[in-house]
Amino acid sequence: MSDEPRGASSDPEADPTHPEAYVLNMGPQHPSMHGVLRLKLHMIGEEIVVAEPVIGYAHRAHEKMAENRNYLMFLPNSSRIDYLSGMIYNIGYCQAVEKLLEIEVPERAQYIRVIACELNRIASHLLWIGTYVLDIGGVTPFLYCWDDREQILDLLDAITGSRLTYSYGRFGGVTMDVDDAFLTGTRTFLERMKSRLPEYDTLVRKNVIFIERSRGVGIMDRQTCRAYGVTGPCLRAAGVAYDVRKSEPYGIYDRFDFAVPTESAGDCLARYDVRIREIEESLKIVTQAVRDLPAGPIMPDKPKKKFKPAEGASYFAVEAARGAFGMYLVSDGSEVPFKLKLRTPSFSNLSSMPKVLAGTMVADTIAIVGSLDIVLPEIDR
Amino acid sequence: MSTPPLTSTDAAPAAPVDLADLTPLAASSTTTDPKRTGFHHHHVALAPSLPELARVFTSAGYFLEMLTCEDRRLITPALPKMRLVQTWNRFDGPADRHLVTCELDPGQVAPSITAVAPAADWYEREVFDMYGVRFAGHPDLRRILLPDDSDFHALLKDFGQMDRGSEEGT
Amino acid sequence: MSPPETLVDKLDSPWLGVVLGVAAVLGMLTVNVLFLVWLERKVSAWIQRRMGPTEVGPFGLFQTLADMLKLLSKQLITPRHVDKPLYHLAPLVVFVPVVAAASLFPFSAGLVLQDLDIGLVLVFAFGGLAFVGIFMAGWGSNNKYALLGAMRSVAQNISYEIPLILASLSVVLMSGTMNLAKITALQSERGYWFIVLQPVAAVIYFIAALAETNRAPFDIPEAESELVAGFHTEYSGMRFALFFFAEYSNVFIVSMVATVLFLGGWSGPLLPGPVWFFLKVYALVGLTMWVRWTFPRLRFDQLMSFCWVVLTPLAILNLLITAFVARLV
Repeated sequence: MSDEPRGASSDPEADPTHPEAYVLNMGPQHPSMHGVLRLKLHMIGEEIVVAEPVIGYAHRAHEKMAENRNYLMFLPNSSRIDYLSGMIYNIGYCQAVEKLLEIEVPERAQYIRVIACELNRIASHLLWIGTYVLDIGGVTPFLYCWDDREQILDLLDAITGSRLTYSYGRFGGVTMDVDDAFLTGTRTFLERMKSRLPEYDTLVRKNVIFIERSRGVGIMDRQTCRAYGVTGPCLRAAGVAYDVRKSEPYGIYDRFDFAVPTESAGDCLARYDVRIREIEESLKIVTQAVRDLPAGPIMPDKPKKKFKPAEGASYFAVEAARGAFGMYLVSDGSEVPFKLKLRTPSFSNLSSMPKVLAGTMVADTIAIVGSLDIVLPEIDR
Repeated sequence: MSTPPLTSTDAAPAAPVDLADLTPLAASSTTTDPKRTGFHHHHVALAPSLPELARVFTSAGYFLEMLTCEDRRLITPALPKMRLVQTWNRFDGPADRHLVTCELDPGQVAPSITAVAPAADWYEREVFDMYGVRFAGHPDLRRILLPDDSDFHALLKDFGQMDRGSEEGT
Repeated sequence: MSPPETLVDKLDSPWLGVVLGVAAVLGMLTVNVLFLVWLERKVSAWIQRRMGPTEVGPFGLFQTLADMLKLLSKQLITPRHVDKPLYHLAPLVVFVPVVAAASLFPFSAGLVLQDLDIGLVLVFAFGGLAFVGIFMAGWGSNNKYALLGAMRSVAQNISYEIPLILASLSVVLMSGTMNLAKITALQSERGYWFIVLQPVAAVIYFIAALAETNRAPFDIPEAESELVAGFHTEYSGMRFALFFFAEYSNVFIVSMVATVLFLGGWSGPLLPGPVWFFLKVYALVGLTMWVRWTFPRLRFDQLMSFCWVVLTPLAILNLLITAFVARLV
């Protein structure tokens, strides 16, 4: 061992079908593995023969916890499933329970929810742009995105009291009303963001190295996406205009005028373009929501004290920043969920990786995994 | 930045799956109100017909949205069952979610649908990991979230059940 | 034209001269590296709209000094499975050629430690030696990331040395000498810099030099997001500092070569020679920093094909045209 680096032949973990390949363990601690993903790469030289994602390092048993506490007590967990678009998860869980209990949500709360969720989506996409460019070696855009994202976090912090793991939703509304300062701040941010997008275009999208590193890399076509249940921007980059906000509108999303951006190439570049245009669409939604925000209560007049849904199963899906987030909620008629299955988008998106990564180079692996926008706590739950 | 058309590049959206193809495979099929439950259809299937059901769905252009399990052994102690749950949905047009449930006896091995829907690979591993349900024909049935050397299946109701929020385990 | 008297010639004992000279070069390089790292952090901060170091000393100037002291005082950790001779020797093999190469440069007329007629060749030879050290580090570390990084590094540097030297040869053909001081003197004599006649060679040289020094967008051997830290993954403390030192000094050296070859070295009006020399060198170093903080990283195969398909043929063509024109003139 001491006089020779571990070569291919002596590797105990070598894949029997590729005896000449060596194993490179990427993660769970690695500078560009988002969170604690571990990739077991069987490689020949720099080329990957077999890629095997190993997950579970951030498993916190959210589903088990859900079965051991009442509906309200699970609320803080919801935003910790995906800490980068926690608002969407938090509001989504509230909406799922509201559907089960048939709770009416006041108009104003509905609009506030949309504003908060879409701001959160922009923040999540901004973070993705930063980390993706960082993955392929560009450091500077990361800080620009962080700067913009910080504006959103400050806004959301003002109304929710937290920066990432919001517990803003309540069954029937939201905890706190928005004030004029928040609305003014949001309008300022909308203007700022609109002027920033062309800057990203110049700094990132027009960069020839960025294009070379992204175009034709990690192609996931419609077939692959369907086979693995890939949703979200990755699916839309493959030309499928699937968005839960359109296919089964929840909340008040049917009132807003926004498009579902798609690209056809299905490569990393298309995923970038889709996300940039989703930011534009989210800006549109927030603009409309701020414009139309009605006055009124943010919680029902008589909020329910006990949450005891009738026996039965239900499914509720929302469009999170990474794709379709579904909650399969089974009630046995008690105050505690009998079963809560969290269908998280990154889990399905990542499961396509063994197929997509085979035959790529190490550098592309980082780009492809980065382009998925995975959040490990969301995969491991 | 170029702005391609906002529509999907595919041809006409896929038609809803033909219920006539599904009914012979399911023990019972019901239409449910998606406004209330989130499902448009509910099929109760027997384990052997699961792969064939999956084939009907995939060839109709549907994708496996979710696959999980419920531990219903304690609900009806006289007739203990594990329930496999699948939901299928489509990309094009309004959502058309089909809920497929399948009752298994404890210890019964279910057929894997991985060969038909690769998405099931990780979901079936997770069900095995959390519920101990085995799938025949799965290419690589290992634990996925819990450590490989765990000696428990975490989502079984008789594991780590707490009494309504108190911290004492059973 | 007789070569100007060098510093070593001025001293009675040549050995004392060499020792003093090497000490002077080492000191200069150290101060330079400390300053360059500070500059890099300030430049990157400026590009990224941050502050950069501000706490230690005026404008955070002593931050890098503090960092160096920290690295100096850290425990030297030797991982268990390394190949000890290679592992221990590698930082030195990378470090020493840098000092040797730096001692060849004419900072001003007469201000040169070793004025050799094969100065340019020696600089490149010393530069080539460092990659032996890098591969020793990668191989000796017994770490797959390090080995991958080292393999990338060697392949990249061997490839990019070709356009680098071909581009330099164009200047040699024009000046008829490889003596760095003479090349500089020739430019001030003729009254123009060689970049005027050799713009293509200058661009090729600059790009290839970025690759030679493993700077972004060619920092593939130590691509942080892929290979953790590449060939020096297993190194810490002062051993890491030596690699770091060598890397920044290399940036400095290739910039010095470019200054001598294309920008007229120390020549310039009004200001004294060394000031001009360092101004030009720092302008070039600043350019590499600007590039680094703007561009993403190339992929390895793209890097290689860029070298063999674009740079090398272009450099050969440029050299042939230069030779042809030089023959006519």
